[in-house]
Amino acid sequence: MYTRQRQRPRARAGVNRRQGTLACLMLLPAVTGLSVFVLWPLARSIYLSFYQWNFYTDNVFVGWKNFADVLGDPKFAASVIRGLLFTAMVVPLQLLIAFAFASVARSVGPRMAGALKMTIYIPTVVSTVIASLIFVVIYQFSGGVANWLVGLAGAEPQAWLGDAAWALRAMTVPTIWIGLGLTSLIMLAGMLDVPESYYDSARLDGAGWIRQQIYITLPLMKNVFLYLLITGFTVTIQQFEIPLVMTSGGPADSTLLPNLLIFRHFRYDDNVGFSVAAAILLFAVIGSISALVFRLLRSEKATDA
Amino acid sequence: MAATSWSRAVKPRKWALSGSKTAVACLFIVATLFPLVWMGLSGFKAKNEVTRTPFRFLPEVWLWENYLQVLQDPAFVRAMAFTLLASTLFALGSLVVNSMAAYVFARLEFPFKRAIWAVVISTMFIPSMTILLTSFLVVNELRMVNTIWVLVLPGMASASQIFFIRQFYLGIPTAIEEAALIDGAGPFRVFAHVFVPMSKGIFVVSGMTMFLAMWNSYVWPVLTITESDLTVIQQFLALFRGARSTEYGLLMAGSTLALIPVLIIFFAFQRQIVQGARLSGFK
Repeated sequence: MYTRQRQRPRARAGVNRRQGTLACLMLLPAVTGLSVFVLWPLARSIYLSFYQWNFYTDNVFVGWKNFADVLGDPKFAASVIRGLLFTAMVVPLQLLIAFAFASVARSVGPRMAGALKMTIYIPTVVSTVIASLIFVVIYQFSGGVANWLVGLAGAEPQAWLGDAAWALRAMTVPTIWIGLGLTSLIMLAGMLDVPESYYDSARLDGAGWIRQQIYITLPLMKNVFLYLLITGFTVTIQQFEIPLVMTSGGPADSTLLPNLLIFRHFRYDDNVGFSVAAAILLFAVIGSISALVFRLLRSEKATDA
Repeated sequence: MAATSWSRAVKPRKWALSGSKTAVACLFIVATLFPLVWMGLSGFKAKNEVTRTPFRFLPEVWLWENYLQVLQDPAFVRAMAFTLLASTLFALGSLVVNSMAAYVFARLEFPFKRAIWAVVISTMFIPSMTILLTSFLVVNELRMVNTIWVLVLPGMASASQIFFIRQFYLGIPTAIEEAALIDGAGPFRVFAHVFVPMSKGIFVVSGMTMFLAMWNSYVWPVLTITESDLTVIQQFLALFRGARSTEYGLLMAGSTLALIPVLIIFFAFQRQIVQGARLSGFK
């Protein structure tokens, strides 16, 4: 008894030390990878944002000048506003379609629901390049599918991507199409968590479908909506591959979303500090808006309870 | 009597309701798949037929020429093969790296565990654009530009995949490995002989996610690959469009062919992928 008690801690310490070494070894590849390709570039970004720097000359410390330049650049401000506008067009519509999808998938038979779930997810695995190319052809002025559909409705054909008034709006379709799968499946998972008995009793009380949604589904799925709203916002405002492939930001900068502006600066502008400062500022904008949305919706919930 | 008339009145309504639900469901399926089916069909159309004005869904004459021409283009075949190789290496490497880390965080004790975990998780929230530019500087200094490693190595260690696999490992009851531990197996053997065999499902989801991420990546290759021998498939498609902008049939045929590996993977593992998407997305 006595010896056992004395031996145990020492044996434990030995095991722990061995475990510690093994843990280090097994963690090494992941920690190295994240350090070299994420943390180190992040540190460099923060550092470079205070420097005037390009590939050919030495760094010159310029303090907050890069940030001031970015904030004073009307093009940057315009691109952020454009990004917010784009997000405001994409995210609500995406949530609405996902909600409709989840409602349908919930109420049809299991086989149909399985087919629906599988189908809605297919666009998610399609690359943004392919999606962009498909929609470039769909949006062709003469003979494009979009103008054929518009013609069926009796409206005038549009030069969708060639017209500054339409290009950004036209891009919402491939953006929603590609992002719909994940949103819908998460929406459906949240909806399936709402107990069926709630709807049964509401039905007995004579509540119709719309009132069931307003009084049962929406309040109970608040967290799901919150999550989808914030992730939808952060993903959409960072979108730039679709405009990059479809229009390269044109016509007349009408599809120059914030990240595309930064990407363009990096490729064609000498001062890397500017691009990096812009990226950090955008990060700050995204972070604070997400925090704000989170706060607003959360506090509302708090007053409910 | 009253009961029968009631049920008679309700039945057609119920029928109509379930019928309309099925109709809406079918509408969803058709609308979602339309762009892809239309892309595949356009590949069979003649040069000017894709955007001919009286719209026709099906090709007038089914032509194989576009598909054959793309398949006979050595640059296309090389891009497909190279991207396949890079994506496979990327996915397999990420499984090794991330599953080991996930096991360590789920089961082992070591100093500063919580702090390291916090740092690992925080990397998930860094927007890619803030580090895209300086990542390029880093790989440039490491002389990885224009090699396959510039695709395979960065991004292999992934906090979200570590998190995802760790969640699964945390759900495995400790009783399962205790027998092995009592037999004197070390933690690494427990990982290799108990955890890895149980991880089949989770590895499929994680591996496919990473494979697809690499297969579909475009911006990073645009920055880091400038040699035409190492062009990845998405780059190839975008360049193709720039070079031959009006040959829509050919463009759609190339896009369709580039999508086929993705669709094969998707249909082979669709149940796991759809389920995993839901899990990794929320809960």
